Amino acid sequence: MSLETLTKSWEPMSYGFLDASAKREIRRKTLKAIAVPGCQIPYASREVPMARGWGTGGLQVSCTLINPDMRVKVIDQGADDSVNAASIRKFLARVSGAPVTMDTLEADLIQSRHRIPEEKLREDQVLVLQVPNPEPLRPVQPNMSIARQMHADADYGRMWLQLYEQIVRSGRVMQGASYPSLVNGRFVMTPSPIPRWDVPKMDMAAHLTILSAGREKRLHAVPPYTRVEPLVFDDVPFRVEDHGRLVCTRSGARGFFMNEIPQEDGTSSFEVSDSELGVKTIHRRDGDAARIGETWYTDGEMAQ
Amino acid sequence: MTAHPAPSEFEARTNATFEALMWALSRPGLTRDLPAPGQAGIVEALLDRECNVHCADPDLARIAAATGAALVTQEQADHLFLDMLPGADALRQIALGSDLYPETGATLVCNARLGQGAALRISGPGCNGAVDVKVAGLPDGFWQMRARLMRYPMGFELFLVAGAQVLGVPRSSQVEVI
Amino acid sequence: MAYVATRGGERAIEQSERLFRAEMGEITADRVAEMRKALPYLVDRVMGEASLYDEDLAALALAQTGGELYEAVLLLRAWRTTQPRLTVAEPVTQENLFTHRRISAAFKDIPGGQVLGPTLDYAHRILATEVLSGENFLPTPVEPASRPSPAQQPSVAAWQAENDLLTAPEPDTASGNTIPDITREPLLFPAKRAHTLQSLARAETGGVLALGYAAQRGYGQNHPTVNELRLAEADIRVRHPRGTEFSAGRVKVSQAEVVSKSGSDLGLGYAATLGWNEVKVIAAATLDLNAKGAPKGSATEEEFFLYHTEGVESSGFCIHFKLPHYVTFQSSLDAMHDARAKKAAQAKRAPKTDISPQVESAE
Repeated sequence: MSLETLTKSWEPMSYGFLDASAKREIRRKTLKAIAVPGCQIPYASREVPMARGWGTGGLQVSCTLINPDMRVKVIDQGADDSVNAASIRKFLARVSGAPVTMDTLEADLIQSRHRIPEEKLREDQVLVLQVPNPEPLRPVQPNMSIARQMHADADYGRMWLQLYEQIVRSGRVMQGASYPSLVNGRFVMTPSPIPRWDVPKMDMAAHLTILSAGREKRLHAVPPYTRVEPLVFDDVPFRVEDHGRLVCTRSGARGFFMNEIPQEDGTSSFEVSDSELGVKTIHRRDGDAARIGETWYTDGEMAQ
Repeated sequence: MTAHPAPSEFEARTNATFEALMWALSRPGLTRDLPAPGQAGIVEALLDRECNVHCADPDLARIAAATGAALVTQEQADHLFLDMLPGADALRQIALGSDLYPETGATLVCNARLGQGAALRISGPGCNGAVDVKVAGLPDGFWQMRARLMRYPMGFELFLVAGAQVLGVPRSSQVEVI
Repeated sequence: MAYVATRGGERAIEQSERLFRAEMGEITADRVAEMRKALPYLVDRVMGEASLYDEDLAALALAQTGGELYEAVLLLRAWRTTQPRLTVAEPVTQENLFTHRRISAAFKDIPGGQVLGPTLDYAHRILATEVLSGENFLPTPVEPASRPSPAQQPSVAAWQAENDLLTAPEPDTASGNTIPDITREPLLFPAKRAHTLQSLARAETGGVLALGYAAQRGYGQNHPTVNELRLAEADIRVRHPRGTEFSAGRVKVSQAEVVSKSGSDLGLGYAATLGWNEVKVIAAATLDLNAKGAPKGSATEEEFFLYHTEGVESSGFCIHFKLPHYVTFQSSLDAMHDARAKKAAQAKRAPKTDISPQVESAE
């Protein structure tokens, strides 16, 4: 045996940046995450050339999955042109040579921070969500060891109590994004800080979702066709943001999640948050060809 | 440090193997194509120094040992590679993980014949309704024993390999013999 | 085409990076070599926090980031991710360390003597402003001692254990692959001893100091006495696949033993790191000393201090708040608007109730 057999031949950078060992670990942990939907699987989480908290968890999963035939889309807050989305997209293309796209319909792999696209994802697509805090119990139990025990016992009483208290105090559940949801009837997970608008898209979806928190070193998954139920009381139904009737001032798109843009006169205007859907809607309005896929919401209502 | 965006043969192979395994487990009961026949490709795509592995086939054990993984008994293994199970009782020796760490439940890879033999109905996460498959080459009472042992979220994952085809059955699947 | 017009983002990103790099100008091998020579303690700190020992690469990381320490450490750790692991070195034992400095505050004198070595401890901290007006600062030459101090010495704790003053920790027999490695496996609690010591070794100096200082001031259960502080060099011995053992070179290391005096036995806290960094190892050893039996959620609880002294994670998370959060903000705003409307409607019918602040999870 020589050193040569132990190591690999020199490359300026590993394909997909991560060393083969790092990828093997992510592969093993991803398989377990898929097998136990919603369960947080700890992993070593290598450092990548981006600061922690900036999508390093999602990036490690994307770097593991990527190959030269995989078309990649990256969004942040729904936008492809957001600075960090642009930076991650550039990095992924640079380390893998994979083609990039902004069109949800064309993408094989979508890495996203805080949104699920408005066009329905298909059985062959993977959505990788960046997760700042993987622990839905953190607001009621900051200690991770205790929280883990609570998951083991399916002890979610304090979670329910917190929601109940919000209803008593404020007349409604005050949870904005990151709405805690029960996966496959067993684990409460955070769907990552997606708005409530996006949570119903996860229930029995056709695509695979992998949620990865690089800083907190945990990943979890929602396989296709898996139940995802936001925690609600029977008599207080789950409510998405009241955006169903809003119209995008730029594109005219209506019935999707919007960004509120404060105006100087004190009013607000709205822009569709899924930027590429906005672009496609503009193309269509201008008479250019643009294919808009089936959307989860129609006229602001989620299809049943 | 400049980009070098061309995967080596090893990278391309292990990447494709994992993709097949990922989809096999995401869609239980639907077969996927591995880039090469046999279990060796799964060994090189998954195993590393951190793993404890049990291989029935001595040639495969040599490949597994070269990854740095420790060769251990069935009970201690987090990954098991078997040709054929001697009997359903062998499943009793497979690590199921714990409530606190379900992910320490093992991954079992064994050979089977797909598309013939016992008719199974698989349901659970990943199944758009129930999925019917036929699997031969497993010992009698295998599925009943599996069902008896699983204590979800504790359990083990199963990959059935037939040549270059793989079928996945995660612990979250209910399997009914019909 | 309104949306398309907003896609100037990528150009802006590129220019902002150029602006940062323009300030440092051209980076040459000479500059890196000069930084390595001029800033050994800074280079040590970066190597320790990155858990990667290479003075040239650490100096390069500092040069490339203009001394932005968090960035330099991240740069080096990210490079580390791309490197394969060839082998695991033989264990380094305390008595085999090549010692430059070894002092004890617990005893006036210790076997082997108090070896001061290089330190500014007793220097007057006066800025040599004359350098700026062209008068070079030339350090006064060192006068060698008549008798060199022994290069190798056992630890003070080993002597105390022999004399039944403390219970020495069980020797750890793990070697090679069986040593748990925090960079290749997740940190879980209760943490493996190796993971605790490794996490402290690569913790951020300022973070360790803040929490260690809190423990020292009274938020811990035990007040530390520095049993031994040591700056040394460790010979890294590696076994060739053929079986022969050889030296791969020396690395600078620091270690601290601190003891508590409460109870019938001395309690022992320990920390070590790559490079010479005294503040870090004393503070880290203080945390280690206080970890046993610390209340959940206190600063000296293992989970608390190991998570919160991880510099790459804490600094990254801190700056991530610069990223846009308007979707989550919008989502909360929507709930707030609705709750207000409900409140207004309710106020017409019943006495006023307050909307209490909600616990927000990190996003």
